[in-house]
Amino acid sequence: MSKFAKFLFKLCGIVLVLNVALFAVFFFDLDGKLLFNVVEPFLKNHYDNMERRDTLQTPYDMDKFPKYDYNT
Amino acid sequence: MNIKKTLKDFWYGKPHSAEEGGRRLGDIMEDKTGLYKHREWRGVPDTMYYFYNIWLYNYIHMVMDIMQMGGLVNFVKGVLRYRWVGQTYLPVMHWFDRGLQGMRGAALRGSAWHYRGMVSTTIRQFQRMFAADTRLHGGVQNDVYKHTIASNETVWGGMFYPWSDKFMYVPMEMIPYFVTCHVNSHTVLNYIDAVQSIGLPGDPCPMCQAEAGIFVLDDVPDYAPMVVTCNEACDASVSTSTLQDWFFDKPLYSLPMPMQFDDPLVKKYCMREIENCWKFIEDQTGVPFNWDQMVKKLEAQNELQRFEWEKWEVAANTNSYPINGVAQALYRIYQTQYGDWEIWHFCDKKVRKIMEKCVAKKINTFPQTRHRVIAWSCAPLYYSNWCTWAYNCWGLNVIINMDSLMFNMTMRTDTYEHALEDCAQYHMWAPMRRMAVGGMKHMFELWEYMEKFNCDMVAMYDQLQCKGVQGLHGLFEDEFRDRNVHAFWIPHALPDSRTVSRAEIRRLINDYMSTVMHEEPLDPSLLDFDDSMTW
Amino acid sequence: MRDLKHLIYFENLLQEANNDLVKQAKAEGKRAIGYTCYFMPEVLLDLPGCFSVRLRAPRCTSPDIATYYMSGRVCHYARSLMERALEGGYNFLDAQMATETCTATCRFQEHLEQKHLDSVKDMRIIDNDDFFCSFSDVPFKNNEIAYEHFTDQLRVHVLKELHDHFGIDTSEAAIREAVEQHNEVCRLINEIGDYRKLDNPTITGYEFHVIQLVSLVCPKQLILPYLRETAEEMKTREPDMKKEFRCKVVLAGSENDDPDFTKLIESCGARVVCDRHCYGAVESRVPIELKEGEDPVYTIAKHYLVTSNCPRFMPQDEMRARKQRIADLAKQYHADGVIVVSNKFCEYWSYERVIDTVILRRDFGLPVCSIEKEYINSASGQLRTRFQAFVESVEIKQIQEGK
Repeated sequence: MSKFAKFLFKLCGIVLVLNVALFAVFFFDLDGKLLFNVVEPFLKNHYDNMERRDTLQTPYDMDKFPKYDYNT
Repeated sequence: MNIKKTLKDFWYGKPHSAEEGGRRLGDIMEDKTGLYKHREWRGVPDTMYYFYNIWLYNYIHMVMDIMQMGGLVNFVKGVLRYRWVGQTYLPVMHWFDRGLQGMRGAALRGSAWHYRGMVSTTIRQFQRMFAADTRLHGGVQNDVYKHTIASNETVWGGMFYPWSDKFMYVPMEMIPYFVTCHVNSHTVLNYIDAVQSIGLPGDPCPMCQAEAGIFVLDDVPDYAPMVVTCNEACDASVSTSTLQDWFFDKPLYSLPMPMQFDDPLVKKYCMREIENCWKFIEDQTGVPFNWDQMVKKLEAQNELQRFEWEKWEVAANTNSYPINGVAQALYRIYQTQYGDWEIWHFCDKKVRKIMEKCVAKKINTFPQTRHRVIAWSCAPLYYSNWCTWAYNCWGLNVIINMDSLMFNMTMRTDTYEHALEDCAQYHMWAPMRRMAVGGMKHMFELWEYMEKFNCDMVAMYDQLQCKGVQGLHGLFEDEFRDRNVHAFWIPHALPDSRTVSRAEIRRLINDYMSTVMHEEPLDPSLLDFDDSMTW
Repeated sequence: MRDLKHLIYFENLLQEANNDLVKQAKAEGKRAIGYTCYFMPEVLLDLPGCFSVRLRAPRCTSPDIATYYMSGRVCHYARSLMERALEGGYNFLDAQMATETCTATCRFQEHLEQKHLDSVKDMRIIDNDDFFCSFSDVPFKNNEIAYEHFTDQLRVHVLKELHDHFGIDTSEAAIREAVEQHNEVCRLINEIGDYRKLDNPTITGYEFHVIQLVSLVCPKQLILPYLRETAEEMKTREPDMKKEFRCKVVLAGSENDDPDFTKLIESCGARVVCDRHCYGAVESRVPIELKEGEDPVYTIAKHYLVTSNCPRFMPQDEMRARKQRIADLAKQYHADGVIVVSNKFCEYWSYERVIDTVILRRDFGLPVCSIEKEYINSASGQLRTRFQAFVESVEIKQIQEGK
């Protein structure tokens, strides 16, 4: 068997294994389970504990902006 | 064991109805979470199509979109900073699963392309926000920031067409709030609670509450130097602008649309307001109005509208329409409100091919249809895929919905005056306005469309906090009785799944179908299941 | 303080929409024109031959049939109006000059129209052959193109309709006559209201609220003699030796045509010295200045847009200036605090109240009491507790400031 044929065989094998693995992820909803059980709780925890600006302290200047009036 | 049947089920998937030894879709879901014990086996061709052409294709293209539109670094920064992107958009394939559950053949393919269009447009917008966001770039107002225009999500994207060759517009709420509810209904609850925590009562429209809440929680990127806002569609939208103005604190132009849009007198005023808005954009950007660019974009949008009319024609007069109720509704409202964009044309081309094949071969795309349903008023955002469930469980096929029908026009581009006049008309027919909060008689256009689309049943959305629709509740009851129309109500509170749960919506439909219609479910496993924790 | 001579008469006039003075005017052959919102210029409905009635639904506590039609999840005011209409309480109306200035009242007014629906084709809510309903579009902005637009609307949807249906004289001379009468009402109300600015006011907020309301719901020509007499009476009215209140407040917020609500606040020790709400006098009793050579309809249209502080106005400068105006009113009327009220289900004021509550306190140092109420005040016990606590907090603040 030539080197190229071997390589092709190997490549097919890798593609096949990858396909089967991905199909398993797809079929058994492993992506959904990972996201639901691991990623989302982690991110929620992260967001819940983030320091946030107190938006009620945002200035409310009466004359900061002009009257946008063009009278076309 | 019947080998012949097993092989047939393996190749084609199990049949739909219980009578034929059905597929029992409710059994493949985990209790509460709605995750799949295993994804549905739709037969070899459709499962493989779903695996390769939907699941894998969309995962790959999402990554490609992110790389092309703003890059991975901006995306990661955005995920770590903003709840709405991290918590919501990562499980996007489950959104596909819920909307496409049980679909086969052309219906699966056509509907999936609609989802692809929406995902790409969503990525485009949040990546633009992150690329421009001063918070993710050390407070620097970079070139992307200076070339981005922020707007309220009810401002039609066409307002910015004249600058679309140099600037991109991104609505403040469409991605951080509106689309999130469909994909992951949990996220928005944080924003509703946030705005109520500063004293807002719980009764205003929850959609507007959430739009204000993202600002209260400081979860809106600082991505543009100016804002254009609008009064559409209702009182709460007007008031939300007031809160947003406080927290965003940027030059803001209000583009109010006249309420009495049937009155020919109001058009002149509306046209002048739009021109004023364009002056504001010229002033703020320093870039003049580009008529040629405007015409180019309007023509492109007209092309999308013409295809939509073709779709309506097929939906109304044949059984070969390959789009399910949820894909039709979401794609159409997204496309018409956001305005023209390349991906819509790409997806429409794909859908056209599928639809033309269905029509030519007279393929019955939803073969288990028992009732052709028109869905009226505003839909529950957290359960927009109820119609997929309703078809699978009861054979209720939602042919068309109110949101799809609102912008029923093309724009003239022969003269500036004509274009402006049509833009005014289009904008006054804002989402949720024309046939929901707008004039009473427009809500009752239901009967015309019901006839036009050959529907025999109405799914009447009952948005509990929409004053415009609630104000007509009794008249609809009277009319349904008087006309002897089969109609079931779907109470909900737009994004807030806590007010009326998905299970409660299903229970109401189940009750109607069994006690009023005296029908048996196609798939009894879908009658009652617990998806209380589902995205 | 000595009782006002006409107060009980005024109170009785507020018991029914179709009150004695309305009946008298109708008997004289005048047309009764209903409206709900400040944006519908009452002065144009007071042209010779007709008179304006701002709709109220006094004592309507249980709008059951209206709740069937409008559900229980819209503003109680709109439902109460609908209930009163269904009961036949507005059959005296010859026309309704409608505006879509808030969703709930818009729906109520749409219900009054002939609906052309199969199920309700025989349903005549207003049992009056002459009755019609006409909608005007009210802009959300306060600029020149809005004035011109609103002028067109009033000309076509109000004046032309009144002329075509009832032969009302809508000439410039007739409009000027109506403005003159309107301005006299404004002058008298302001004169009476200015006594609230005194250190020890010689009129209570409740009394003023009643007087202001009768000026909105009765034919102007017939109520004017009583207002004149009351204004005269006020000149010699002496305050109580001992102040009957513990602090003075501005009452701001949404629709409020219930004088008992003002009475409730005052019974808790806060004197209401300024009424910046939908039925209040701050906006509606600003005289209209007609200039020679200027189109009076344009002037009136502009007047109503310029004087309004409604939270539906959207320009950025206007949204922000509204808070400053409340602070200015507190200063002008020597108020110690502000009570901001929104009716349940009123979306405009729900939001405005949130911002007012933060900004007036933070940026203007004004104590704010933020309240949500029903159209007819049924939760008086809870509200009383809130008002009493607010009055105490204002007093504590004053003590801390050494006042």
